[in-house]
Amino acid sequence: MTCSEIENVFSDYLQRSLRREQIAAIDAHLESCADCKSLAGVWERLAAIPEEQAGLNSKKRFDLMMDAYEEGRKDRQTIKTRRASWWPEFLTSGWQHFPFAQAAMAVVVVVVGVALGKYLNPPAATNAQELAALHQELTGMRQLMVLSMLQQPSASERLQGVSWSEQVKSSNPEIISALVHTVRYDSSVDVRLAALDALRRYKDQPQVRTDILQSLRADQSPLLQIALIDFMVELREAQAVEYLKKFEQSKDLNPTVRQRAEWGINKLSRG
Amino acid sequence: MFLVRNGVVEMLGVLFDRYQSPLFNFYCKLTGDRSASEDLVQEVFYRILKYRKSYQSGMSFRSWMYQIARNARLDQARRQKPDAELEDESASSRMSAFTAGDAVEHDQEVELLHRALMQLPEEKREVLVLSRFQNLKYEEIAQTIGVEVGAVKVRVHRALNELREIFRQLETGRASVTKNT
Repeated sequence: MTCSEIENVFSDYLQRSLRREQIAAIDAHLESCADCKSLAGVWERLAAIPEEQAGLNSKKRFDLMMDAYEEGRKDRQTIKTRRASWWPEFLTSGWQHFPFAQAAMAVVVVVVGVALGKYLNPPAATNAQELAALHQELTGMRQLMVLSMLQQPSASERLQGVSWSEQVKSSNPEIISALVHTVRYDSSVDVRLAALDALRRYKDQPQVRTDILQSLRADQSPLLQIALIDFMVELREAQAVEYLKKFEQSKDLNPTVRQRAEWGINKLSRG
Repeated sequence: MFLVRNGVVEMLGVLFDRYQSPLFNFYCKLTGDRSASEDLVQEVFYRILKYRKSYQSGMSFRSWMYQIARNARLDQARRQKPDAELEDESASSRMSAFTAGDAVEHDQEVELLHRALMQLPEEKREVLVLSRFQNLKYEEIAQTIGVEVGAVKVRVHRALNELREIFRQLETGRASVTKNT
């Protein structure tokens, strides 16, 4: 390899996102080319720059910020209630000098009295509103959390992400698609199986059913294949037979998996 | 209601524990200023809370977070624009003070490299910090800064070249100083 050829793939080389033989070719070039070698050397040595430690107050400030955020919510609520209390003051100023106004005032007072009677407890209403807003916020945070956890490099954290997803009550398309993605592409079988389990809650959704059918492939772990076949049988989806038949014909299938697929086809065709 | 409120706080708290250190390091290397970095980290979490609905699942969470982090930095830099040049100058000297004082050769070399990094223009330094220190994949960096993946690779290569030049100059400078003394 020449220097100019290397230039095109040098960045990929730095992150080791090349095929093994390409990396070996570049390694060989570096041995004979001082210029390229020194560039790679700078990249290597950057790792020696020490990490900075955040101050101890950082978490404290974060907690304070969260408190302030909540205070802000409460304040907004207080302003609303305070506004409500300005009305009587406004209504009583100077009106009593005019007879018509007095009569009108009497009517207003009666109407307001009745209205107040109906809305027995206005603060309860605002509380309910606040509660609803907070609920929405919590759901939002949970979704964000799940989606971020599912992308963590460590399998145990991704597993945790899957289990968090079960706490998200509403069916959220983003979470569902993240779970489907996990079932199909996660590097750990455990995480895949857990994600498949988590998808069970959404099995009535047409999209999820199709996604599950399409997830069964010949090049997966037998454990996952069996779990997918069982899931399909559980779904009682008519289309599944076609998918299973096609799958059963794949070469190099694990014998147990093939047996399970046959069992599935039988079960589903019997209806 | 208490439980619900605690839930929001708790979850943002988990994100905070996980990402505050990487974010703090990102900002330290970008601004060279520890206290500004701490402020910016807080700002990022506030924005995550505020704009969490803008997160789309197709995007990597880290890309999204660093996008927020970048915007927070840009806003902060804009507010400080009048003395921006002064900031830059003091940044490199402040950072060098972190590691100064170590007599070992290896440490001196690292310190020199650190100084070279801080002298690199911020937009070039940024791609290096994201790829080398934050361990973001080029695809994630592309999402974060909103350019094509190919462009990110080119930028990383160029920035590294420029960093090497600055580092060499600093090395020659130091060598001549040692010779004269």
